[in-house]
Amino acid sequence: MKIIIVGCGEMGFHLSKLLAKEEHDIVLIDKDPEVLEKAEILDVMCLVGTATSYKILDQAFVSKSDLLIAVTQSEETNMICCTIGKHLGTKKTIARISNSDFIHRKDAFDLNTIGIDEVIFPEALAATEIRKLLKESAAITTFDFEGGVLEFVGIPIGKDSILDGKTLKETDYLNPDQNFTPVAILRDVEDVIKNKTIIPRSDETFQSGDHAYFVAQKNGGVDRVLALSGKEKLSIKNLMIYGGGPMALVTAKHLSKKYKIKLIEEDRERCEELAGLLPRVMVLNGSGTDVDFLMKENLEYMDAFLSLTSETEKNILAALSAKETGIRKVIALVANIEYIPLAQNMGVDTLINKKLIAADFISKNIRKGDILDLHSIPGVEAEVIELEVKEGSKITDRSLKEIDFPKDAIIGGVIRNKIAHTVRGDFKFELKDKVVIISLHESKNLVESLFK
Amino acid sequence: MKFNTKVIVNIIGVLLIINGFLMLTSILFSFYYNESSWYEILISSIINITVGGLLFFFSRNYSTSNLKKRDGYLIVTFSWITLSLFGMLPYVLTDQIPTFTDAFFESVSGYTTTGSTILDDIAILDHGLMYWRSLTQYMGGMGIIVLAVAILPFLGIGGMQLFVAEAPGISPDKLSPRIKETAKRLWIIYVSFTVILFFLLYAEGMNFFDAVNHSMTTMATGGFSTKNESIGYFDSPLIQYTIIFFMALSATNFTLIYFGLKLKFRKIFQNEEFRFYISFLSIITLMVFAALYVIDSSEIEKTFRTALFNVVAIITTTGYASADFTEWNTFLTILFFLLMFFGATAGSTSGGVKIIRHIILLKNSFVELKKQLHPSAVIPVRFNGNVVNRDIISNILAFVMLYIVVFSLGTVCMALTGVDFITAVGSAGSAIGNIGPGIGDVGPAETYSSIPTIGKYILCTLMFIGRLELFTVLLILTPYFWRDH
Repeated sequence: MKIIIVGCGEMGFHLSKLLAKEEHDIVLIDKDPEVLEKAEILDVMCLVGTATSYKILDQAFVSKSDLLIAVTQSEETNMICCTIGKHLGTKKTIARISNSDFIHRKDAFDLNTIGIDEVIFPEALAATEIRKLLKESAAITTFDFEGGVLEFVGIPIGKDSILDGKTLKETDYLNPDQNFTPVAILRDVEDVIKNKTIIPRSDETFQSGDHAYFVAQKNGGVDRVLALSGKEKLSIKNLMIYGGGPMALVTAKHLSKKYKIKLIEEDRERCEELAGLLPRVMVLNGSGTDVDFLMKENLEYMDAFLSLTSETEKNILAALSAKETGIRKVIALVANIEYIPLAQNMGVDTLINKKLIAADFISKNIRKGDILDLHSIPGVEAEVIELEVKEGSKITDRSLKEIDFPKDAIIGGVIRNKIAHTVRGDFKFELKDKVVIISLHESKNLVESLFK
Repeated sequence: MKFNTKVIVNIIGVLLIINGFLMLTSILFSFYYNESSWYEILISSIINITVGGLLFFFSRNYSTSNLKKRDGYLIVTFSWITLSLFGMLPYVLTDQIPTFTDAFFESVSGYTTTGSTILDDIAILDHGLMYWRSLTQYMGGMGIIVLAVAILPFLGIGGMQLFVAEAPGISPDKLSPRIKETAKRLWIIYVSFTVILFFLLYAEGMNFFDAVNHSMTTMATGGFSTKNESIGYFDSPLIQYTIIFFMALSATNFTLIYFGLKLKFRKIFQNEEFRFYISFLSIITLMVFAALYVIDSSEIEKTFRTALFNVVAIITTTGYASADFTEWNTFLTILFFLLMFFGATAGSTSGGVKIIRHIILLKNSFVELKKQLHPSAVIPVRFNGNVVNRDIISNILAFVMLYIVVFSLGTVCMALTGVDFITAVGSAGSAIGNIGPGIGDVGPAETYSSIPTIGKYILCTLMFIGRLELFTVLLILTPYFWRDH
């Protein structure tokens, strides 16, 4: 696929890296040559210039391109870029936006009419994820398939967890209705850079410190998984958000109807602005790493602490100190993907990464038709995909035993006519089954080929 | 300091001409009632038109291009003073209000829509003069400058400066992108409602003359009546309820009325000030009703009506009376005195502090309380869902502070003239709020005739300051205004 990416910020760089790895032809455009320099290490073509210029777009072979993704900081640039690109012949456009009106007020103005096919609002996607995480407060990751028929849930295994030190086989009795399946384990091994992702077989042992991931059925399954963590379900009411950037703003807005929020921002003027935009939120002027100050504002009575500044280091630090004071739910925004394992090993287990979220969104769009849904999990070297059983594919009308399913992948569950099923060896796949699969990156092509 | 003197003189000239022509309409009533005073009114009118014409003629080659804020304040203040001076001519020339002081007081009380009178017996006035007296209130109600902006072609640029200096409230809402259109619409609404009210009152049994006068002074929230007993004279529930409704309406922000006419009712009920205004009216009325019911429980409807009428009359700063609230009991006297400091909504014809200022300051105080607990919290004051700028809050704080200072100074000065304590307090509060009746010797059943001459001038000053919302007049009294920097 020929893809043009406009804007070499965090988002653009990450997307270029990811898509180039997947054998797409990438042209990266940015007006700042210094920023583009760091992209030289990637196997992409870099162009310096304004992406709203016809000349630059022509140099990027816009008329022959399949996809234009505009992810600069400026919403206006992104939109105009897509409009021009579409007129110059690109097949599909995706624009990053920062105003939810474009999503909510489609009745008033449909962006398709000006050549913008899809919009991506990473902050809003992340905010939605945070909302889900607060709802299932014991989970460190959660997302659902087909409107919640199946749910993907991650839990930390602590010393008090019933799973600690037991093999999958030994814990089978905990799953009498067969309504969840363990699909992945993330383990801290003697490697600073990476944690190990394990696709568990029945003889695998859970260890304390692991993050265990399950695919569970909505009715009963999810609650059972959450109970396994050994943490009681806590109902969250009072939140503290650290940070006043766009991410914090969108999240606070999103959550302020349901939760009582205190938001902390260092810049006085920005505080005034935020206070105006967030009528139900108490905006405090101070530092989120200043524990004395946080204590004065009743940090210890908070049910959750969200670190959402634009600086990853600050977020991790603030999250850690919040955790120290005994706050049970701590979520941190981590921009640098390299920091994810580090943060996880330090005990900040619930992480939000805008780039991953945005990349999922883009990948889903690129692989539309092949896959139904796609998610990646911070720190986990695997992706969770949803595929449909089609006529004539290798898997159709066969049971799991009969096919050679890759070892580095596992089936979490199947949705047939909106009803969830757990898959055992003799499970027979039928046409139009929707299959949720967790696969290490190495085997994902192999998995997809089964469905072709 | 250099001023754009020519424009100032020119506009005052035009206003005098308008004043003169409006004065001419009084003669119709003089003729109808066969009164000899038509001659003096005609002379007064000719003086107005001639002086105005001369001023206009000698300043005709002005340029509006450099009309500054300073000029705007001067124009507005001097216009009101000049009009009051020339508007008193009919009273003096006909000798029906013989002294200069009394005539000036009556004229100022008219233009500022205060409605205080020095006439112990109103019946001594000819009909033509009584009508003129009501007409001055009518002009002052919506504001004569607003009228000028609406009808004069040349006030396009700089019109906003004048508008701001005269219009009641914090900042005038524009009904249209053009100030001229806004002014026009305001006057159209104002006149239309007056006509409707006139027909209602006429149909309900008032005679033609009384209906004309009362419809004008009600819409202006002025309070001049053609009867000594004010509205109490018309002992018809229907007439009283009609007047109550229109008083309350005139004290409602005209922008909201405009939305109402466009059937955008949601906008009206979402307006915080309006909601406060209505709830406030209701609560106070119920309180007064309860208090009156304890005194006399024989006629429930009449007691309720009396309570409602007098509460609305004071809060809207109209100042009509259907009973003497100073005679009931001390609680009610104090309550009514305090009501004088409320005022109705911004952007209406009412005077006083205005509810919007009270709400914002109360909210601000509440925020300050919250900040004691959370010293680093940034909590904005919201009004109608929007954040109120700190500048506006400090402007309102200054306004209220100045209001208190001016009121206190006024009270002290009144006391120096020899009136008793209650009268000093009551007359000053009533004058600065443009209400009309006060407490003490100037209660609803009394007049201002007993006030010493100097006292009348003090009250006139307070009325001007109050009608022009403090800043316009006070600014001119500061030395800064006359300096270059």
